Amino acid sequence: MRVLLVEDDDLIGCGIEAGLRQAGFTVDWARDGHKASLALDTTSYALVVLDLGLPRVSGMDLLRRLRDAGNDVPVLVLTARGTVVDRVGGLEAGADDYLGKPFDLTELIARCRALLRRAQGRSVELIRYRELTVNPASQTVEVAGKRVSLTSREWAILIQLLTNQGIPQSRSRLEESLYGWQEEIESNAIEVHVSNLRKKLGANLIRTVRNIGYVVEKQ
Amino acid sequence: MSASIRRRLMLLVLASIGLVWAIALASSYRQATREVAEWEEARLAEVAQMLALLDQSNLATLANAHIDVREEERGGETSANDTDDDDSLPRDALFQVRTRNGDVIAGSPPLRALNAWDLPVPPVTGVQDVVLGGQTYHSFTLRDTPLGHTVRVFEQANTRSDLVSGVASRIARPALIALPVLALLVWWSIGWSLAPLRMLSDAIRSRDINRLEPVDIGHVPIEVRPLVDAINLLLSRLLHSLERERAFTADAAHELKTPLAAIKVQAQVALAEPDPARQRLAMERVVQGVDRSARLAEQLLLLARLDMQEKMATAPLAPGAVAKSTLLANAGNAQQKNIRVTLNCDMRAEINAEPVLIGILFDNLLDNAIKYGSDGGTIEIAVRREKQQVLAPLKEPLKEPLQEPAKEPLSERILVSVRDDGPGVAPADLERLTDRFFRATGNQATGSGLGLSIVARIAQHFGATVRFGTGLDGRGLAVDVSFPAYTAAAVRSLKPAG
Repeated sequence: MRVLLVEDDDLIGCGIEAGLRQAGFTVDWARDGHKASLALDTTSYALVVLDLGLPRVSGMDLLRRLRDAGNDVPVLVLTARGTVVDRVGGLEAGADDYLGKPFDLTELIARCRALLRRAQGRSVELIRYRELTVNPASQTVEVAGKRVSLTSREWAILIQLLTNQGIPQSRSRLEESLYGWQEEIESNAIEVHVSNLRKKLGANLIRTVRNIGYVVEKQ
Repeated sequence: MSASIRRRLMLLVLASIGLVWAIALASSYRQATREVAEWEEARLAEVAQMLALLDQSNLATLANAHIDVREEERGGETSANDTDDDDSLPRDALFQVRTRNGDVIAGSPPLRALNAWDLPVPPVTGVQDVVLGGQTYHSFTLRDTPLGHTVRVFEQANTRSDLVSGVASRIARPALIALPVLALLVWWSIGWSLAPLRMLSDAIRSRDINRLEPVDIGHVPIEVRPLVDAINLLLSRLLHSLERERAFTADAAHELKTPLAAIKVQAQVALAEPDPARQRLAMERVVQGVDRSARLAEQLLLLARLDMQEKMATAPLAPGAVAKSTLLANAGNAQQKNIRVTLNCDMRAEINAEPVLIGILFDNLLDNAIKYGSDGGTIEIAVRREKQQVLAPLKEPLKEPLQEPAKEPLSERILVSVRDDGPGVAPADLERLTDRFFRATGNQATGSGLGLSIVARIAQHFGATVRFGTGLDGRGLAVDVSFPAYTAAAVRSLKPAG
């Protein structure tokens, strides 16, 4: 699950980045509005965490531009200006949620998950698929009540497929959700991770769509 | 009750009226006295003239009758229409007629009782006062009448002053009635005239503490207008400073939240991180965040103190020496970025300032130059003397029109400058550099945006001006602070800037 973090402050930025990584997200960190808008133009993100007080292009402008361009990615806004006027302004400019500084990292992550859940049309955190129970918050998977341990890559592919049931996901799309800007993409890695997932969770969970990629069928 | 304008005006107005009235009364009284005296003298002389014409037998008859001088004078008119009958006592005139030899021909008998029968006769015609039987008498002596007699007429003195006091009381009576009426009128008029002041004080008293818009009490007399204007000016200044204060507090709170957010995030990352190396990194960042908020708090406190303190103890000091010690303190930071700092200071240049604050000024300038300068770059710190034409003060341009421009002193200034060859600041941002919490766009280094506003504030405190320009080799930023030089003459004229 790839998240774009837009934050100009070094200490806060690297803290949120580390926190989101711990929670199993793939994080791209843009330090100003300009870089953020470049990233949004080239990559599709599951979520944007946006600080409003940015140099060059303000967070509010970025948000407006994003919505004007028809991009409906969920946006969580962060700001030190916590007045009602600021909140209302942020929400009206197209933010989906709002968090004032200083915030709690666990709350930030919980809100991120809630936004994703809403975007995926789920109302509960647990994803159940046949005998599979997936808990994104605790990053645990059970098959018929038995805990199965996954690597972070396997986990990311599983979530990507489960949250897009019935929509085939291309290899590049899966890679995009897997690797951040700084990470090297390993060749053939997706095939390896998918085959491992089939071994751990059952052979008929993930279906190969020839020349396109992989899909988890709608249940 | 403390000093009251109404009371003071009352006292002054009534005292003035009373004084003028008293003087008028006294002079009227004196005038009346003199006129009555003249009139009575003329009357005594007339009686004497009449007696001089009488022969011995008539005189003898007259001696035993009363002569009412007033009846004589009024020609038999009744005194019935004289309502102010303050002179109703019998006004008997006594007389004595003698021959040229001094023998008494006739005389009023009471004169014998008063032991005045043999009174020596004054040598010339005229008025004398004599004391007979313990009472003062006016007497008139007429010598050498056509019949060869000497006539002398006596009249008791107090009967005359009765008349005078009657005149006086007639003058004084209206005044005694008028004064209280006048006092009431004056009291009411003063109260009425002072009503705008009362309205003003009511308007101010009934004000809410947060209402600082101008006082408006409608029609204001010109005497009260300056007071209302002064109060309104004060209110607008107060409002301005209050707004600045509020904006500053809001900005400060906002700025303090950022490092606090960083600390909290890093601490939570550390708590959740299983890898000890990463946990340690997060903890180090927590410490960095705490340092940052401590520095921010320090800067905010310094700004608040600079705002509060109007006057500060100053001493002559060499900026060059301060620059040197600042450089030593920051050498480590410069080395980390591989920046070379050159010092180019005139050590004899002195300014009148406070050493700790000048140290903070240099520290902020150098810290900025290191933070925002390029890796491996150069920073130059310079202190030098420069002559500057003192511009005539603009406040009162016409007061000394004869002053020749040649006489204006070339004042010596001390120019302190810190230049770097980093990326510099966009021209659009130059003006806002000293704004509190302003951070130029596109920089990566952490900062509060307070450094240069502290520099500007300190400079202002010691009468210095701050200019920004291009730094070394046509790149980077130059900050020039121009101080008035320390000289004996400069010390006398130096006043701490507000």
